[in-house]
Amino acid sequence: MNHGQQSGEAKHEDDAALTEFLASLMDYTPTIPDDLVEHYLAKSGFQCPDVRLIRLVAVATQKFVADVASDALQHCKARPAPVVKDKKQQKDKRLILTMEDLSKALREYGVNVKHPEYFADSPSTGMDPATRDE
Amino acid sequence: MKRRRRNSKLKFEEPSDQSPATTAEFSFSLTKIAVSQICQSIGYNATDSSALNTLTLTTTKFLQSLAELASSFSNTANRTEVNLFDIVNGLQDIALSTSDCFPGGSTVHDIESHCLIKSAVLRNLSDFVKYAPEIPFAKPLPKRERDGSFGGDLDQAPVSRSVEVKSVPAWLPPFPDVSVYSDRCSKDRSDHLWENSDSVIGREIMPEILQSKSGGRLPVRRDRVKFKIEQRDWHSGGDTRLERWRENNDGESGGGVDVKKKIRQGYTYCAGEWPI
Repeated sequence: MNHGQQSGEAKHEDDAALTEFLASLMDYTPTIPDDLVEHYLAKSGFQCPDVRLIRLVAVATQKFVADVASDALQHCKARPAPVVKDKKQQKDKRLILTMEDLSKALREYGVNVKHPEYFADSPSTGMDPATRDE
Repeated sequence: MKRRRRNSKLKFEEPSDQSPATTAEFSFSLTKIAVSQICQSIGYNATDSSALNTLTLTTTKFLQSLAELASSFSNTANRTEVNLFDIVNGLQDIALSTSDCFPGGSTVHDIESHCLIKSAVLRNLSDFVKYAPEIPFAKPLPKRERDGSFGGDLDQAPVSRSVEVKSVPAWLPPFPDVSVYSDRCSKDRSDHLWENSDSVIGREIMPEILQSKSGGRLPVRRDRVKFKIEQRDWHSGGDTRLERWRENNDGESGGGVDVKKKIRQGYTYCAGEWPI
């Protein structure tokens, strides 16, 4: 009896948390705009008039991108720093998202990115990151 | 070295000048902006163009696969509209393959309590919404057209899409203009009957016959029918009895003969008088 009451209370709390979460989605503005998400969803046969659910998908996608990017950033930071000639250059060290880090990060999420090993994205590829100017 | 730098700068400015030609390109470039904003918020100063393209492509694939999963769940449940359960189920499925993104995805939410927040995936998202800083999109988007594409002439969009046909789902294309079909399909009035058209031989006779019928009434005179409802005692069956008099005015079948009849199927055919 007592156990039943407890579980009932817990259920009530969970329901309240869910309602609160859905209500917070109304105020939250995801980085990916609603219209853009709706466009991609409609392309896949997803039909839903509720804005909150569209935002839920947007938030899930945003979280996915943020997680991948932060993983790639960890790879970037963990890489041994190149030999530095100038102290000035060390200060100017900029964090750049590269294919190498990205493919490592994406592999953990089940996405295998294959790219040619020695293909240059731009004329500045292979140069010292500090001297790049993008 | 300096020359090289200038070259690279030029190279990176080029894509911004090209305006996207198709809807797919436009939506892709919008997604690219959003993804680069997220990367910036994580702490990146810059990205390689190929890396950004790859991440954007992965993002769109993620969105579409989630949408496909959710809609397939809803279709399995004989629904066309997706609800929260379908999205959470889709997220669970994705979480299984991308275990790092949504930890706890392998544990299906508590089915007995029927509460979705028990799903670890949803709890993670709830925390994300609570604690992650809000990064609004860089620029306001142009209003969307009805067919799902962006931009274009807004005046031409069929905004007032026939309100009277609510039964037609939103994803179907709009009806053609009324002028296209209204002339051909308009119903002919009674004075333009097929019988009156030139293709019918001897059509002069028809109007006379129509007039004699006196406005749609039947020519044959029918018998008058009377009903009577009789309340019986509950003990003796409790049935409502009906007495039916058939009064034949012509006197062919012996008028005034009472006929009792039990009603079993309501009073649907009782169109006569009710002498209660």
